[in-house]
Amino acid sequence: MPHLARRPAFLGALSRLLGLGGPVRGQCPPSLLDNNALCRDIDQGKPLEAYDYVVFDAEMTGLSPRRDEIVSLGAVRVKNLQILPYERFEALVKPSIPLPRLSTIIHRITPQAIREAPPLAEVLPDFFAFCRGSLLVGHHVGLDMAFLTRACRALYGETPVNPCLDTMRLAMLWRERLFESHYDRYNLSVSYNLADLAREHGLPVFPSHNAMADAMQTAYLFLFLVKKLRKSGIGALKELYLSGRSWRWYG
Amino acid sequence: MAAEKRPPVDFDVVSDFLRGALPFSEMEEDGLRKLSRRCLIDFFPAGTRIFIRGVTEVDGLYLIQKGGVKLFMEGPGAQDSREGCSAVMDYRSEGAGFGALSLFRGERAALDVETVEDAFFIKIPREAFFQAVADCPAIARYYLKSFSDAFVSKAFAEMRCRTPEIPSESGLTLFSEKVGDLVARPPESAPFGTTIQAAARIMVRQRIGSLLIREPSGAYCGIVTDKDLRTAVALGVSMEAPVETIMSAPLETIGAEAVSFDALYAMMRRKLRHLAVTENGAVTGVVTAHDVMAMQGRSPMALFRDIAARQDIEGLYPLHARVPRMIRSLVQEGARAGNITRMIAVVSDMILTRLLELMIKEIGPPPVKFTWLLMGSEGRREQTFATDQDNALVYQDCEEDFLERAAETYFAAFTERAAAHLVKCGFPLCPGEIMARNPKWRGTVSTWKRLFDSWIDAPEPKQVMHSNIFFDFRSGFGQEDFAGALRNHVTARCLGNDFFLRHMAADCLASRPPLTFFKNIVVEKNGERKNTLDLKARGLMPFTDFARVFALRCGVRETGTLARLDALRKGEHIPDGLGRDAMEAFEFLLQLRLVSQLERVERGETPDNRIDPARLSPLEKRTLRDSFELIGSMQTLLKETFRLNIA
Repeated sequence: MPHLARRPAFLGALSRLLGLGGPVRGQCPPSLLDNNALCRDIDQGKPLEAYDYVVFDAEMTGLSPRRDEIVSLGAVRVKNLQILPYERFEALVKPSIPLPRLSTIIHRITPQAIREAPPLAEVLPDFFAFCRGSLLVGHHVGLDMAFLTRACRALYGETPVNPCLDTMRLAMLWRERLFESHYDRYNLSVSYNLADLAREHGLPVFPSHNAMADAMQTAYLFLFLVKKLRKSGIGALKELYLSGRSWRWYG
Repeated sequence: MAAEKRPPVDFDVVSDFLRGALPFSEMEEDGLRKLSRRCLIDFFPAGTRIFIRGVTEVDGLYLIQKGGVKLFMEGPGAQDSREGCSAVMDYRSEGAGFGALSLFRGERAALDVETVEDAFFIKIPREAFFQAVADCPAIARYYLKSFSDAFVSKAFAEMRCRTPEIPSESGLTLFSEKVGDLVARPPESAPFGTTIQAAARIMVRQRIGSLLIREPSGAYCGIVTDKDLRTAVALGVSMEAPVETIMSAPLETIGAEAVSFDALYAMMRRKLRHLAVTENGAVTGVVTAHDVMAMQGRSPMALFRDIAARQDIEGLYPLHARVPRMIRSLVQEGARAGNITRMIAVVSDMILTRLLELMIKEIGPPPVKFTWLLMGSEGRREQTFATDQDNALVYQDCEEDFLERAAETYFAAFTERAAAHLVKCGFPLCPGEIMARNPKWRGTVSTWKRLFDSWIDAPEPKQVMHSNIFFDFRSGFGQEDFAGALRNHVTARCLGNDFFLRHMAADCLASRPPLTFFKNIVVEKNGERKNTLDLKARGLMPFTDFARVFALRCGVRETGTLARLDALRKGEHIPDGLGRDAMEAFEFLLQLRLVSQLERVERGETPDNRIDPARLSPLEKRTLRDSFELIGSMQTLLKETFRLNIA
């Protein structure tokens, strides 16, 4: 779903009140506060090309936001609906838990590689300085956001409020436009895997499970889907959101 | 700290792309990385108009990362019938780009550009592009070569100053030859007061097209050209009037040290054809636009003119040797193989025509009218270098017996001599003796019709082989209507004649696409030709054979493979997509063969049809593989159409 989840601000306050989010809580970095202030002012009525986007991807130690942690972040900027391939953010993160072997097999980040890496608390301020009020775009962005939100709440008691767009939801929306018969929606063989979508739509294909390459791949997919959808009449952020409204909220 | 958090960039889409894209692949690594830092990535869905000719401000060079575009020109008032009025200039696909020309000229888009499929672009912004051009002369040179002279303008003159040396074989003598070197003779002149008639007489006597006019002081003050005389006659000016009344003044001049491009540019800008050349202030001669063009010598026009001007047969011998140079300059100007081979065909036809004309002049006219037929690749207008003679002769049906015998005697001598002269002109004999000097391949119109009938009615392997060669015939010289009559006959006999065509089609299936099971290109395993592939037999022939069978079946009269495929596609005899793909693939193969032969010729070797796939670029290799895959699709269509999988 092209969802524009805005986490209510009171949640952060509530969690602070209840003393949730772990014992070590530092000062909230100015870059996150700045980012959030800018995000609250975003006007949803503008055309899609008027926004700045940051397409990002995170690699984790596993899939559970409660138990697992982020090990790398990759992000690239999209402005004017063009990718700026060198305005990018790329970082390895040292998690507080040992790196499971299975995750190393997937993203090929070895314990040696992250031994020298900084902890997430040092990476996030730079990351939000990079985002600075942009719309965040990711493939199945809810999962990445869940990790980010959880980490921010634990570290700073404040969570990012950037509106998010999910390329997986966009891909579903685009596929729905291509349906020829009612029963197409029950086709179980379709895949929404990032690499499969790239191949299916004839995009350049990059190696997967590297945060930077996946972010770039997602950026290509995002450009493709947004411009395709725009051609079929969805020109403003609000319209994109409305056309995906039938889906459930999440994030 | 920051360095730790941001590891060095090893994942680099743009630099990787630029490293494989001409001309940026020529850049130094540092410059390339610097350039790629400034690029953008953009996407346009299929059918998006990116440039509108004369309207769009071009703000960068677009390189296609994935997908394809077409470059075209939309005619005026074409809003309603978009297909009808637009002329497609080119299709470009991955690795190619567009927009450079407009950037150099600093003008709006020169052509309309539209995506034909969803396409991703690496966009090099204008300033970054010019920075790269300034840093790397190879880029400037690449674009300089790829634009034809007609587009050359001021931006190029500036670029020329910045680009140190252009190799002399680059075809651009325009930029190296000095105007002073073009002057063949001192100027002819006449003083004030000369009558128009007297001036014209001087020009006729000296065989010149222009005459300078001297003031009483001795200085040149004007020029009279053929055009001025023509105007004078048209206006009814008295022939006794003084010549200065019709001269063009003042005299336009150019310094002897200027390069000939400047001369051409000055002429174009001032709409003149003559310029006086000055050296140290004194007029040393006159150059014309014609001189400049002829100096190039590589232009097809210069060659055509030379052929037509030859008055003796021996004079024709060396002319064919100039074809490689002409092809080199055409290739460099970006002409496509289909056009180049047609151009070669025109040159060969002109040499043949001039040769036969001179022979008839020498040994007397033939007793009956005849047509010289060209067959095989010459018939299809697809010859490249050193094509064998494949010809035959058809002459008028004779009512009188003695006339027939006279004709036979005449043509026997005539064709024998013609073959010998053609060898000296650079066309080797046909090893299979498929030449007009072989009595088997000479005959009257009705003899030929009977011969063709016998092949069509009893298509044994040998007859099929002959049909493959002969049914691509066209007229090379003489009375067109004999070739036309034979073409009508063949077309009528073959139209829907699936009995005969089935044998032809079966012959097409004999050669498999040269791809292994894993889609690798099949090459010779050993011997002298190890690791090479016969591009003609394995690549081009399946296309020509396919086109021939369907052309005969559907009554298409064209002989060229591209023309046949186009007609078949338009007539909906073959699927549109297959037709388009086949045309592109065929032209690609033709180009590959042409360029590889050209390289061999320029190295002084004998051109052949073999290529080494390992020496191709990845893009070429992939296109080659795609082309070969198409052979499989064509063979499937043949099988289905002629039900060959049942037999």
